[in-house]
Amino acid sequence: MTSTATASLATDLGAYRTSLRAYLNNGDALDRWRGKHHGSTEDRIAEHAALMAHLYQDGWNRYGWPAEAGGHGGDERHRGVLYDELSAAGLPVPDPQLMLETLGPAVVRFAPDLAARYLPEYLRGANWWGQGFSEPEAGSDLAGLRCRARREGEHYVLSGQKLWTSHGATASRFVCLVRTGTPESRHRGLSMIMVDAAAPGVSVRPIALASGYRELAEVFFDDVVVPADRLVGEEGQGWAVAMYLLQWERAMYAWQSAAVALRRFRELLGQVAGKPLPDGAATRIGECYGDIVALRARSVRTVRRLAAGETVGPEASVDKVLLATAETSLHDLARDLLGTDFVLGAGADTGDWRADWWFSRSATILGGSAEVQRTILADHVLGLPKEPRA
Amino acid sequence: MTSTTMDTATAELLTGSLRELFAGSAGRAVGPALAALGWAEVVAEDPAGATTLLFTEHGRALASSPALDAVLLAELDRVLPAGNGTRAVLYPYPDDGDQPSTVDGPVRGLLLAGLESVDEVVVPVRANGAVALLVADPAGCPAEPVAGFDAGSGWLMVSGWQPAGEPVPAAQPWERAVAAGRRALAAEIAGVCQAALDLAVAHTSARVQYGRPIASFQAVRHRLAEGHVAISDIASMLDAAWATAGSANGGAWAAAMTKLRAGRAQAEVMRHGVQVLGAMGLTSESEMHRHVTRAGALDALLGGHRLLSETTGRALLAGAPADPVVEV
Ligand SMILES: Cc1cc2nc3c(=O)[nH]c(=O)nc-3n(C[C@H](O)[C@H](O)[C@H](O)COP(=O)(O)OP(=O)(O)OC[C@H]3O[C@@H](n4cnc5c(N)ncnc54)[C@H](O)[C@@H]3O)c2cc1C
Repeated sequence: MTSTATASLATDLGAYRTSLRAYLNNGDALDRWRGKHHGSTEDRIAEHAALMAHLYQDGWNRYGWPAEAGGHGGDERHRGVLYDELSAAGLPVPDPQLMLETLGPAVVRFAPDLAARYLPEYLRGANWWGQGFSEPEAGSDLAGLRCRARREGEHYVLSGQKLWTSHGATASRFVCLVRTGTPESRHRGLSMIMVDAAAPGVSVRPIALASGYRELAEVFFDDVVVPADRLVGEEGQGWAVAMYLLQWERAMYAWQSAAVALRRFRELLGQVAGKPLPDGAATRIGECYGDIVALRARSVRTVRRLAAGETVGPEASVDKVLLATAETSLHDLARDLLGTDFVLGAGADTGDWRADWWFSRSATILGGSAEVQRTILADHVLGLPKEPRA
Repeated sequence: MTSTTMDTATAELLTGSLRELFAGSAGRAVGPALAALGWAEVVAEDPAGATTLLFTEHGRALASSPALDAVLLAELDRVLPAGNGTRAVLYPYPDDGDQPSTVDGPVRGLLLAGLESVDEVVVPVRANGAVALLVADPAGCPAEPVAGFDAGSGWLMVSGWQPAGEPVPAAQPWERAVAAGRRALAAEIAGVCQAALDLAVAHTSARVQYGRPIASFQAVRHRLAEGHVAISDIASMLDAAWATAGSANGGAWAAAMTKLRAGRAQAEVMRHGVQVLGAMGLTSESEMHRHVTRAGALDALLGGHRLLSETTGRALLAGAPADPVVEV
């Protein structure tokens, strides 16, 4: 594509959508990624990375990212269109795009040099990152984290542990929230830093979900030496960076999930067509579709706000609650419509639904649990009297 | 696109005027009061913003008026002979959703206010499977005040009526009118819900048990937060519904989904609202019950959420595309 054509797609969202749609539906070049079943997380993520490479080569997943970071310009809406059109064309949203949405914007904003160096290869599917926030003793209460980084000249030395790192077993880098202040400094003494998975002293242990898929990992740091220029933001600014990052983690994740949910909903209807369905199935189907549409309607507002450069505050918890509702509703619907097949069936489609069902349980846990979201709304949106602190 | 073009200052000004208006007038007097406010121009300028504002305030005030008639008539009048004075709309009986009675039998339905000052009743009927309209003389219309869940609705039930008149084919205008009506009703339900949530927030923040306001107990806080999510959901669905309102069928699909979500939202908000008020929530001492019953009545009108879920699900099973409804 010529650079003028690229520039015009970056400013004309409608034209981007139309051209992308034509590209995705043209011929069979992308069939390799349609209707696929993968036996392991590792296979799936590798295939998805290959899809990113393909999209990158033709430029399509570069819109929405700045030129300095390997992108073609444009904003969050371009990324939103990409996920939507992939889903409408029966294609997966590549797994690594998920953490790219979470980590990319903060790195672009707070560490433009790192973004220039490493984001292009991410967009190319050559490697991807993991998010190292949670720890054994820091789940919902993230500010209690203990993984330490101590400054030594031009380096930091990391020691400690991260837990529940998505894509952790295959990621090349980890963007970690670490303690640079005193153990009692809570959210004031934190910093964000990018660590290579290949650095001496890093070890990774995959963790399988109950489905058998190794979606998560535990990452250990044993005196890992990290150049100080790998900081994302200033030392001590980690909490602010994390809060900035959270806007995309809540908003873009919701939009991505809604796009994928609509594709899976369509596939489910196709799979149960003509089969006997339990009582009340039509009502359940209508309600679930409503849950997905409602998530889209809310999420699109937030995506547009981010694109307009607005700060999305605690009200993003509404998106997160609707996301969890839709995810839970869709996968419980699949489970109930598939019935005995869900429990005993050997087919690949059913196997995928079982794995997805397990994963869908995370919608009320990850990135701030269902309870934490409600508490944020109660505190910061409704302004209710606070819960007494323990 | 967000369909409203109204800025915050204008919206605040109009909100104030509407609150005064609903405090002072009800029933068929609301029409002339809105006309005196120049409401038609506000609607012409910004249909989405004006309609949403009007019906949200109508709901918040628990107002009782046939304001919704004007919304449907804006679509129906296009195919009807020029009006002769004030028109009222006969709404399908709630169990029938948006499906009116058949033309060859007695009709039943709902009126939103008495017929004293009404010159013509617009009666939708089904003739050969498609909707047509009769313009009927209100004289002899057997309308009885509704004595149901919501004592304050001011609605009337009509049954066993044989209105005379020549049916005017109106399949598409009716579809458009229903869509417009559903958008207005969703906004009205949002208003009722917001008022109920405000009441619940105020009550639980003031009421002390175990030495602290009950709104500091997590179980209570989370119920209120869920209420807020449900109300926010209606607002964003309304954006989506208005974005397609200009299409040939009036954005029927998105409007139905919006009404469905509003219906579910009111069930949720009212369940929590009643619970957090304790015994007070189920008495006539508190205003909460008026919100519960009004929201229930509005949910039923033009298709309740259960009915809409079922018809949507059936349509999807029969091969209707799972429309994305919203694009970036
Ligand atoms: C699939 C998946 C992927 C993930 N990916 C990542 C990742 O890439 N990077 C990363 O850093 N982390 C990741 N996480 C971790 C996730 O962020 C944490 O699981 C989450 O923050 C909750 O922490 P926890 O699991 O320790 O649960 P806990 O904090 O122990 O919570 C357990 C239960 O207690 C409830 N609870 C806790 N505190 C309160 C409270 N104050 N009020 C009411 N209820 C409360 C919670 O709601 C929950 O139901 C992932 C998790 C999952 C499931």
